[in-house]
Amino acid sequence: MTEEINELIKNEYEAGFVTDVESETLPPGLNEDVIRFISSKKNEPEWLLEWRLKAFHVWKEMDEPTWAHVQYPEINFQDVSYYSAPKSMDDRPKSLDEVDPELLKTYEKLGIPLHEQAALAGVAVDVVFDSVSVVTTFREKLKEAGVIFMPISEAVHEHPDLVKKYLGSVVPQKDNYYAALNCAVFSDGSFVYIPKGVRCPMELSTYFRINEQSTGQFERTLIIAEEGSHVSYLEGCTAPMRDENQLHAAVVELVALDNAEIKYSTVQNWYPGDAEGKGGIYNFVTKRGVCHTNAKISWTQVETGSAVTWKYPSCILKGDNSVGEFYSVALTNNFQQADTGTKMIHLGKNTKSTIITKGISAGKSQNAYRGLVRMNPGAEGARNYTQCDSLLIGDKCGAHTFPYIESKHPSAVIEHEATTSKVSDDQLFLCQQRGIDVEKAVSMIVNGFCKEVFKELPMEFAVEAGKLLEVSLEGSVG
Amino acid sequence: MLSIKNLQAKVEEKDIIKGLNLNIKPGEVHAIMGPNGAGKSTLGNVLSGREGYEVTGGSVEFLGKDLLDFEPEERAREGLFLAFQYPVEIPGVSNLEFLKASVDAVREHRGQDPLDSVSFLKLAREKCKAVNLDQNFLKRGVNEGFSGGEKKRNEIMQMMLLEPSLCILDETDSGLDIDALQVVADGVNSQRSVDRSFIVVTHYQRLLDYIVPDYVHVLANGRIVKSGGKELALELEEKGYSWIDEEVV
Amino acid sequence: MTEASTQTLDYASQALSLAQSVEGPEWLSGLRKDGQQSFEGHAWPTRKTEHWKYTNLSALNKQNYAQLVANDSVALTDSEAQQLYLIADLDAVQLVFVNGHFSETLSSEIDLDSVEVVRFSQADEDQRSVISDNLGQITLNEEHIFSALNAGQLDDGVLIRFLKNKKTETAIQVVHLTTAQSQSFSVNARLLVVSEAGSQGVVVESFVSDDASQTAIVNSITECRIDDNSKLFHYRLQLEQEDAIHIGGMHVQLNAGSQLESFHVGLGGKVKRVDVVVNHEGSGAHCDLKGVYLPKNSQHIDYHTCIEHKVPHCTTSEVFRGIIANQAKAVFNGRIHIHPDAQKTLAELNNRNLLLSNKAEINTKPELEIYADDVRCAHGATIAQLDDNAMNYMLSRGIGRQEAEVMMSFGFINELLNGLAHHPIQEKLRPILADLFGKDDSLTRHLL
Ligand SMILES: Nc1ncnc2c1ncn2[C@@H]1O[C@H](COP(=O)(O)OP(=O)(O)OP(=O)(O)O)[C@@H](O)[C@H]1O
Ligand SMILES: [Mg+2]
Repeated sequence: MTEEINELIKNEYEAGFVTDVESETLPPGLNEDVIRFISSKKNEPEWLLEWRLKAFHVWKEMDEPTWAHVQYPEINFQDVSYYSAPKSMDDRPKSLDEVDPELLKTYEKLGIPLHEQAALAGVAVDVVFDSVSVVTTFREKLKEAGVIFMPISEAVHEHPDLVKKYLGSVVPQKDNYYAALNCAVFSDGSFVYIPKGVRCPMELSTYFRINEQSTGQFERTLIIAEEGSHVSYLEGCTAPMRDENQLHAAVVELVALDNAEIKYSTVQNWYPGDAEGKGGIYNFVTKRGVCHTNAKISWTQVETGSAVTWKYPSCILKGDNSVGEFYSVALTNNFQQADTGTKMIHLGKNTKSTIITKGISAGKSQNAYRGLVRMNPGAEGARNYTQCDSLLIGDKCGAHTFPYIESKHPSAVIEHEATTSKVSDDQLFLCQQRGIDVEKAVSMIVNGFCKEVFKELPMEFAVEAGKLLEVSLEGSVG
Repeated sequence: MLSIKNLQAKVEEKDIIKGLNLNIKPGEVHAIMGPNGAGKSTLGNVLSGREGYEVTGGSVEFLGKDLLDFEPEERAREGLFLAFQYPVEIPGVSNLEFLKASVDAVREHRGQDPLDSVSFLKLAREKCKAVNLDQNFLKRGVNEGFSGGEKKRNEIMQMMLLEPSLCILDETDSGLDIDALQVVADGVNSQRSVDRSFIVVTHYQRLLDYIVPDYVHVLANGRIVKSGGKELALELEEKGYSWIDEEVV
Repeated sequence: MTEASTQTLDYASQALSLAQSVEGPEWLSGLRKDGQQSFEGHAWPTRKTEHWKYTNLSALNKQNYAQLVANDSVALTDSEAQQLYLIADLDAVQLVFVNGHFSETLSSEIDLDSVEVVRFSQADEDQRSVISDNLGQITLNEEHIFSALNAGQLDDGVLIRFLKNKKTETAIQVVHLTTAQSQSFSVNARLLVVSEAGSQGVVVESFVSDDASQTAIVNSITECRIDDNSKLFHYRLQLEQEDAIHIGGMHVQLNAGSQLESFHVGLGGKVKRVDVVVNHEGSGAHCDLKGVYLPKNSQHIDYHTCIEHKVPHCTTSEVFRGIIANQAKAVFNGRIHIHPDAQKTLAELNNRNLLLSNKAEINTKPELEIYADDVRCAHGATIAQLDDNAMNYMLSRGIGRQEAEVMMSFGFINELLNGLAHHPIQEKLRPILADLFGKDDSLTRHLL
């Protein structure tokens, strides 16, 4: 039976094709000049260049973290190219019709036909290709509601006060090694601002894609939800097949002011490497949100891609009664390694957090949950509930749980539970006996296992996520 | 003994008791019946002072004192006893030490000396026997792993030990087999006296064959909507509650 | 003290020089050397060392431990000393060490035909070979700096050997009593338990002290080899005075079909840290590990447990509970590691904590590391308040709030005591633990 499952989980990476667009890429290497180049390319104001340089100096003093349960050859940060933009970008498309048809075809192959998806689902899409935003649809409609949704490179010029105020306010430059690197070299990303009391009229969405060889992608997302506002943001990621490893070190900062709510959903499908463990994205991401009084931040992620994932979307529950949530499905196959989880830092009174994670390990992969729940001395009446479940498929993989639980308040209540199970021969046999083939059975069991998380995803994403899991587990059989 | 006037109470921001009146004289037995969710258990919890049950209006006088002034443990010491519908398990705390702590607290309040361990043990064993519980139950954790019926008998045993003035029995009959029902009823009847009153919450007329009430009340939607003699229970058994609604409206 | 304060008071170098000056049996010198070497290879633990993240060892640096004390100034009478560790009604014999020195007068004559109990220094040829074959085989000095140090300072120790296919009802109690001295000093304690195939035995490790301010640092390492189909009951009672420093470990090898029932109790200390490592090396082994920790005032206690499932068909059940009062701090790290071959493992860990004050602190980390698919593993950790429903029930029976709190807190611990196979140990511990919960008799009077 294990044999059959192994067959099943051999999958092909559907997003693995290279887009043939002429692009302008900086030669590999990182120094002050590279940073000045990136900054000048974007016509950035002086303060931002200074900010980048400061981060660069901080970064040079830091060591790459080694505590995660992942192993990969040392990265030579001088072998990475820190800027790549499709050439045709200089005369940017004004509307979708003007977008390079090659690009649009790429998105179609990825299953995101821009026109349709935008029209049907009413989704506004900001597309980040390698490092620059290609186009943002539906900007006009959002503008009416007062919502700002644009590439961060433009926001720097159009809304400098907001960017200056909030950039680095949640994830400071010296936060960690990869965040510092991102601060120094980030090239683009999304900027979202929801004014006071506004419910964003549609889901906002960004697709990231790494295309160029040997490029790193360092996008930066900043979402500010003013008092009493509400936004749901979706993020999807893909990259083509490459033999060598590519680097992705993004930073996402969320600010939920009093009574605001941010829902941030990710479907991450970076290229995971081939069945021999060759190639694939190194995904080192820092995502963090701060919740003010009565605010709520909810992270939902479906992680199926990347060779190495290092990612802990976190909430700082600063305001009283604020709420943090983390729902995660992480699937690893072949030689993938994931070390992912969350941090819930309870500072305010009666703050609440919920963590539900589902780890699925197959092939020879290693899948770890790492989490921190901390109740600070002020966290009177705070609550946390954590449930971490692991599912193992096959006997060559690993599933790990490393929860750090710290409490300094007697009235704070923390409950943590973790379980491990496998897709059992009995379950499979039962399905077969009822006429369901093994492939379908495994996919049903895995989908059932992830249900609690999928129901947190926006509708159109839930379907995509379900399909993605199926693709990741499906194979040549049948 | 007990005089409830226009009592109103809420739980979790929800009004449950909405102007309830009830008068109980020493020695009387009052049965309270009523549909699920009517507020019967809530009444017991409010009277015993449970945290989270907020009195928003009305008054309760118990043995000449304002009951609502007291902390839950003071009410118990004053002689109010609630036999819970769902007695809670307290693992690790032995039934015996729990009972002794309780009896000592009540005795102290009455100005009596605490019982020494030997006489207490003797007394506790006696009461165990009276409700047909094995003595092993004294050593186990409070209600820990007790069956539904055993928990109910443990409640009655506590009532016998504490000798309260007012006993509120919240569905003490549910989950009991016929023999246990007889045991519980005998226990209660043995405690009936001129200066001890009972509120018996039940869904079944059957219990009232054993413990014959002086009055029967119907509690619905947070109020007593009908009162009568013991015949009322029979009528309810036959017709259910819906006819009362019509009558009230 | 004046003399001491002029020196650099770095514990690591003191400990090493102390190790180099130890005079022990020649036949143990190899182990000693290896231990010293391994110790030198370790970086001194800091907050950045994952397994010492929450336990600060700086308290060790403040004293001068560079000397061993002679066993001369013990202020206790024999019967006072016995009060501290004797367990009424327990069928037991004692080996007693006072400030690290063997006490003839306090120790029992041991004459049992199912077990051999001997100090390393007194071991005969046969026993020496048992010691040489086993000592240091289960501890991993490269992973545990204090077990390396313990080996490096090895001067003597105790061998308990439960003989093949024999059942020993009499508990073997090894006692370490420390008393306040004018000079700071260190105690290096080593225990080797060999449970031969088919044997059964009971070992009680007691660590006690007199009431005065403690000046000792105790490093106590216990190794147990539990052979096929044998069973060991083990109790480790760390009841020393509250400013004691104790760093220790218990390292177990479980062979096929063997069973371990191990119970730990730790009152807090200035620094207390115990590593419990259980290696399932033979199929069908079972480990039942329980523990309670109860620090108060400014004490610190840290239990690190690690269960290594290396072979198929083994089971582990682990339960640790803690109550942390005042400004005390507790650390619990429970790791379960399922190796690739350990199919059909059943392993469960449960850790529950109560914080009694808003200055108290708990850091807990239950870890699962799993490399086999056909296993059932679970862990749970909670930090909670006393149950509201239970509190309500007690109040409604007239019990005062404070007393109810004490009774329920004690119940939380008592639940584990109730499961102990040896009732006299329950009876010994109950009053000691009950005592922790109330300064006031009126609150604890119903606990016993
Ligand atoms: N702690 C609570 N939180 C929220 N609602 C509550 C709580 N306690 C009671 N209620 C609600 O109050 C109402 C009355 O409940 P109560 O338990 O008093 O009913 P009851 O008459 O005893 O019913 P039953 O016959 O089923 O025992 C119900 O709707 C119940 O759900
Ligand atoms: Mg009820």
